Amino acid sequence: MKRTTPPRNISRAQAEAVSSAGMRRRKLAAGYLLRLPRYTLAGWLLFLPLSPVVAEEAATITVRKGDRVSLAVTPLGGSSGDAVTSVLRHDLDLAGWFQLVPEARASYLVGGSASGGALQGKVTDSRGSIVLAKTYTGSHREVAHQFADDVVETLTSNLGMATTKIAFVATASGSKEIYLADYDGKNSRRLTSDESISVAPSLGPGAAQLAYTGYLGGYPDVYLIDLASGARKKVVSSPGTNSGAAISPDGRGMALTMSKDGNPEIYLTSLRGGSARRLTRTRGVESSPTWSPDGRQLIYSSDEGGRPQLFRIAAGGGASRRVGGGFAYCTDPSWSPDGKKVAYTVRSGGSFSVAVMELGGGGGRIVASGQNPVWGRNARHLIYNLGSNLNLLDLQSGRITTIVSGLGKVSEPTWSH
Amino acid sequence: MKFQNKLPYLLLAAFTLASCKTQDRYAGVDGDFINGVPLPDRQDGASFLGGNVAKGSFQPVQFGYDSDKVADSEMGKVEAVALAMRRSSADLIIAGFTDQRGTEEYNRGLGEQRALAVRQALIAQGISGGRIQTVSFGEELPADPSGSESAAAVNRRAEFGVIR
Repeated sequence: MKRTTPPRNISRAQAEAVSSAGMRRRKLAAGYLLRLPRYTLAGWLLFLPLSPVVAEEAATITVRKGDRVSLAVTPLGGSSGDAVTSVLRHDLDLAGWFQLVPEARASYLVGGSASGGALQGKVTDSRGSIVLAKTYTGSHREVAHQFADDVVETLTSNLGMATTKIAFVATASGSKEIYLADYDGKNSRRLTSDESISVAPSLGPGAAQLAYTGYLGGYPDVYLIDLASGARKKVVSSPGTNSGAAISPDGRGMALTMSKDGNPEIYLTSLRGGSARRLTRTRGVESSPTWSPDGRQLIYSSDEGGRPQLFRIAAGGGASRRVGGGFAYCTDPSWSPDGKKVAYTVRSGGSFSVAVMELGGGGGRIVASGQNPVWGRNARHLIYNLGSNLNLLDLQSGRITTIVSGLGKVSEPTWSH
Repeated sequence: MKFQNKLPYLLLAAFTLASCKTQDRYAGVDGDFINGVPLPDRQDGASFLGGNVAKGSFQPVQFGYDSDKVADSEMGKVEAVALAMRRSSADLIIAGFTDQRGTEEYNRGLGEQRALAVRQALIAQGISGGRIQTVSFGEELPADPSGSESAAAVNRRAEFGVIR
C-alpha cells in the first residue's frame, strides 16, 4: 500500500469522503490539521468527483395509502372501553403504519374489553384467526399504549412508540421548568418547581431517569431526577458552565459540555457525577452531544471553524471528524436509533429549520420549520419545537401533528427510547 | 493561543507519526496547548444572581453576532476592570450572554466562551485567573427583551459581578 500526502486543493467534503473510507486524520489544534493518509490511487480517484451537496427542498418521500396495513378498531367493551378505545385509535393513527378503515375493508380487526384497570386486547385477521391476544394492567392510557405498541410490533415488526415518554422546557408557570408527558403530549406534568432556569432535559432509556441543566445554585449545573421515586440530585457542579447532558443508551453515563478547564468542551462522566473525562480539545464551543445507539460514538456541534458544524468522535476518545451538515449553521444533533441518520437544527435566513442527513453520505435536507429535533425509537418520527408548540413529524408520510401547546414557550424536547 | 514556535507542533507530528501503526489512538494528553486557563473552585454562596455579588459597577463588554472575540473597541472596559482589580482584593464573576438568534444549548456554550474570552483578556492584563469565575446564561435574562436588531446587539454581552 502506497503512502502519500493529499493534494493541496482537496476540498473538505473530499477529505471527509476519503477519511470515512479508512483514511486517518488527526486534529492537533484549531486550524492545524495534520493528515496522515493511507490509500491507493484508485481509492483517490473514486472519491475525487464528490462535491458538497446542499439541499434546500422539503422532504418529498411519501407513502401511498396502499403501503399501509388496513386496520379497524372496533369499540372496546367494558366500563373503561370508551376511554381506552379513544387512546388506542389515536396511538395507531399516529404510528403511521396503518390506515384506519371500516371493518368491512380491514385486513385486521383490533378490539377487546377494558375495565377495572385491565385491558384484554385482541387482534384478528380478516378470516377471524387470532393474531394477538394479551392482557394488560394499568391506567387506561398505559394499557392502551402497551396494546398499541404490541399491535405495531406484531403487524409490522417495527418498534412502537406509544409507551415512550417525552420531556421538554415550558414557561407556563412564569419561569423555564421541565415537563414530562406521554409521547403524544398528553398526561403532562411539571417536574421542576425551581422558579429559576431549568433547561436542556435528557431522558434516559425507559424514561427511568432525567438529567437537566438547572441554575438553582446560580450556575448551570446538571441535576438528575429518578423518575420512579422523584428523588433529585445535583450530579455535576464543576466551576463554570455544566450543561446539555445526554444520558448514554445504557443509562450509566452521560456526555455534556463543561468549561472547568477554561474552554467549553465535551466530557463524559457517570450518572453519579464524579470525575469527568474530556473528549474534545479545540478553541471553539462544543455543545449538544448525542450518542450513537451502541453508545460507542458521539455527534456534537462545534464552532471551531467559525459557525457551528457537526462533528463525530469515538466515546473512547480520539480524533474528531466533521459530519457534513450542508448548511452554515448546524446545531442540536440527534442520532437516530437505527444509527443511520442525524437530525439537527439549521439556521438560515434568520429562521430555524429541522434537517435530516443520512450518515452514509450526502447532504442534509430540510424537513420542517422549527428546531431541536429528537428521534422516536422507530427512527421514523421526530419531535421538535416551533414557537409555543411541540410537533410530531412522521418522516415517511410528511404528516405533522401538534402534540403540545398552551404551555407558554416550549423548547428543547427529549424523547425516551 | 497561536503557536509561538514550531517545536510543539513538530513534536506532536513526530508523536503522531510514531503512533501511526496503532489504530486511531489520539496523540494528545490532558493539559495540552488547547486548554484555556482552568477555572478556580467556586466560592460558597457566591452566585451572579445572589445578593453577595455587586453588579453594575462596570460596563458590559459587547460582542458581534455569533462572535466570542473581545473587540479592540471594548478593551477600554476590560482595562477599567483590570485597574480596579489591581487596587482591590475582591474576586470577580463574569457572566456571558447571547442574543436569541441561536439555539438554546449552543448559546449557553457561546455565552460561556464570551465570559472566558473576557477572563482571558483580564489575565493578559496581569490579573490572576484564580480570581475570576465564569458563568453563562445563554440567551436567558436579556438586557433588552424587545427582539429588535439593536436589542440583539445589546444582549450579546459579558457582565461583571464583584464578589463581596
